[in-house]
Amino acid sequence: MLDDREVRRLLLATAARDTAAFEALYRKTAPLLLAVALRIVGGRELAEDVLHDAFLKIWHAAERFDPMAPRPVSWMVAIVRNRAIDVISSADRTRVVPLVEDAEDTIENALEAELPSDEAVDTHRRAAWVRACLEHLDAPQRQALVLAYHHGLSHGELAAHLHKPLGTVKGWVRRALQNMRTCVESCLGQAG
Amino acid sequence: MKLGAHPELDALCGEYLVGTMRGAARRRFERALAQESAVARRLQYWEQVAAVNYSERFFVAPSAAVWKRIQRDLALRRFSPPWYSRIELWRIWAVSASLALILMLAWPYLNRPAPVTYLTVAVMQGKAPDAQVTVELSGDRRTLRLRPARPVLASASQSFELWLIPAGGAAPQSLGVLGALDSEIRLSPELGIRLAPGAKLAVSVEPAGGSPTGGPTGPVIVIGDVRT
Repeated sequence: MLDDREVRRLLLATAARDTAAFEALYRKTAPLLLAVALRIVGGRELAEDVLHDAFLKIWHAAERFDPMAPRPVSWMVAIVRNRAIDVISSADRTRVVPLVEDAEDTIENALEAELPSDEAVDTHRRAAWVRACLEHLDAPQRQALVLAYHHGLSHGELAAHLHKPLGTVKGWVRRALQNMRTCVESCLGQAG
Repeated sequence: MKLGAHPELDALCGEYLVGTMRGAARRRFERALAQESAVARRLQYWEQVAAVNYSERFFVAPSAAVWKRIQRDLALRRFSPPWYSRIELWRIWAVSASLALILMLAWPYLNRPAPVTYLTVAVMQGKAPDAQVTVELSGDRRTLRLRPARPVLASASQSFELWLIPAGGAAPQSLGVLGALDSEIRLSPELGIRLAPGAKLAVSVEPAGGSPTGGPTGPVIVIGDVRT
């Protein structure tokens, strides 16, 4: 599990043009970020291109990183995801689209199951809510959401792979997001 | 209409985050992110809420070539401090310089030759009572020092020449031509050895530059036995 404080420190040092910190940041986070990219673009070579592009962006944009963000790695994940989505939507690339069943496995494998260290309790609790809320969704909504989020499937690809009309799939994603929002906010409300 | 005030802002953030928002809509949303802080704040909120802890089982190690390519494309080397500003280098330099200075200052003390001891090997005597020259030999038998009782200089047309007269009556051997009696002469190792008891030392007066014949030609002014 990545240490938020360490990642934050390395990102801030990177913003100050500390190349050793940037390399340490790469060593620490690249395996996670490559996994994120790989799920979306489907091929290793392309995923490594995404990782490369994302780190160029991270180097240049590090000074805009918000040091108050509770999970600094999610800032990096967002950069990787955006680059991966750009790559798959900008070209007619044949990519390995995952099996529908993979949605459940993805939830199992991707989300941290270990007990958190003390300072990570808050983020761990939030991750547990996200996971619980995902499990509360109807199966088709959950599949659509996870396939879109982890594997970067577009509405069109979701429709093709779930063998459902485009409108139906769009509705699933939209309703899944609404339900997730309601669920997570109610958890946050209880916590507050 | 500004996106920050859009009633569906949360839904848009969700679609953007999940990645189903594509193409022109995505680009428009990204423009709004850069221009409207309300949109950026709302997206950041959802990013933090949705942030998950990824299990390490999920991780995939990239190949070594990726980092090399990043390093090359960003020309990271130019960001590493130039050699002359690296602290270790200065530290090494400072330590070496201090050592060199200490050595330099201490060298005369460390390397001072052992004081040369001289031993009196002969006292050459002339006719007059004060015509006396003490001859001292250095401990290494390489330097001969003449100490006259009073300073005596050769005239412009003359030189003094110091002779070794071996025991047994062999021909005198020149040890050196002198401008004054008060002088030092370097000896060859061989001559140093031959300076032994039984031999004599003498100074003759010769034409300027020394004896023309290789043997004493002028009057001997002082002579004495070699004692040790």
